[in-house]
Amino acid sequence: MRASEDDLRAMMIAGLDGDAAIYAALLSALVPLLRAFYRRRMTGAQDDIEDLVQETLIAVHTRRATYDRDRAFTAWLFAVARYKMIDHFRRSKNHCPIEGLEDILVAEGFEDSTNARMDMNRLLGDLPPKQARAIRHTRIEGLSVAEAAEHAGIGESDVKVSVHRGLKTLAARIMGERR
Amino acid sequence: MKTDALIRSLAENVKAVPRYAVGRRLAIGLVGGGVISLVAIMLSLGIRPDLLLAMQGFSFWVKWTYTISLGIGAIIVTARLARPDAGRLRHLWLLAVPVALLALLGVAEMSRTPPGDWLAMWLGRSWRDCPRNVLLLSMPIFVGLLWAYRHFAPTNLRAAGAGAGLAAGAFGAAVYCIHCPEVSAIFVLTWYTLGIALATALGALIGPRVMRW
Repeated sequence: MRASEDDLRAMMIAGLDGDAAIYAALLSALVPLLRAFYRRRMTGAQDDIEDLVQETLIAVHTRRATYDRDRAFTAWLFAVARYKMIDHFRRSKNHCPIEGLEDILVAEGFEDSTNARMDMNRLLGDLPPKQARAIRHTRIEGLSVAEAAEHAGIGESDVKVSVHRGLKTLAARIMGERR
Repeated sequence: MKTDALIRSLAENVKAVPRYAVGRRLAIGLVGGGVISLVAIMLSLGIRPDLLLAMQGFSFWVKWTYTISLGIGAIIVTARLARPDAGRLRHLWLLAVPVALLALLGVAEMSRTPPGDWLAMWLGRSWRDCPRNVLLLSMPIFVGLLWAYRHFAPTNLRAAGAGAGLAAGAFGAAVYCIHCPEVSAIFVLTWYTLGIALATALGALIGPRVMRW
């Protein structure tokens, strides 16, 4: 289950006050957020993305004093992540044409989508765990069906069927909520 | 997995961070650099002999009010730019207020002076040295601010460099006041401001190089 802005912020503040256990939990909770952030923005190899995630975690740690406790945590986090990504492009001299650069540079869009994802988590929470996990792996975190199958320890067709059934249930439920 | 190991090692070393860590660090850099500037001016240019008398006069306080208010404004901007999510700086125009007030005062002074004396009033006796001295005295403060920035997370490095340069220039100029005997507002407006602007430009120039993280 992914943590909300409020949870993350409370964890960050506990970490700033010196609580190592909560701080470790915070860093772990940031990993999927950061992976998704970079995966949406660059077409690099898996290794590149994991490198960036780790670099960002280190930056979050060493620069944590610059987080203002009175302001949004995710805005701070994604500002750090964005800087690390731009720095990565500059260092690797990877001059690939980027379409919609403005969208990449604007954090607000990602925050909205993060909030959307938090709603998503609520919906997924109501599904059977296998379906929820399959949807999260393939549709949100961007794993391939094969990777998702490996992660969950089930067959590929099982993943496909789970995604299909889960999405159908969700669609029905959302239609129901609207009505 | 490697990322898990990284998280474990990062979380091993969690010192509590005080609430105003950014401000505290900037203050240490500023005061540390300022003390070095003070020592430097005492050892090289010297304090003006009539400093205590001058401190009872109007023009000395005009100079200090101008430079210190500019410095305080710049340090606030610099503290803001130390955070990655600094956002838009909406109140930047406030930095122009001291300059505008000094310009008004300069016009008032000129209107009370015969036009034949304007050039002497503008150039004073030290216009050639003033901008350079301000720039040199700002350097220790600039280095102090850069030291503070080593643990910050600026994302607009050029602006952060310019802000630090402006703060250093303004406080360097405030230090220079204890030596400089000039009295006219248009002198300060031109030559002090030129020195401060040079420090700002220097900061903007090297900020992107030295503030990367």
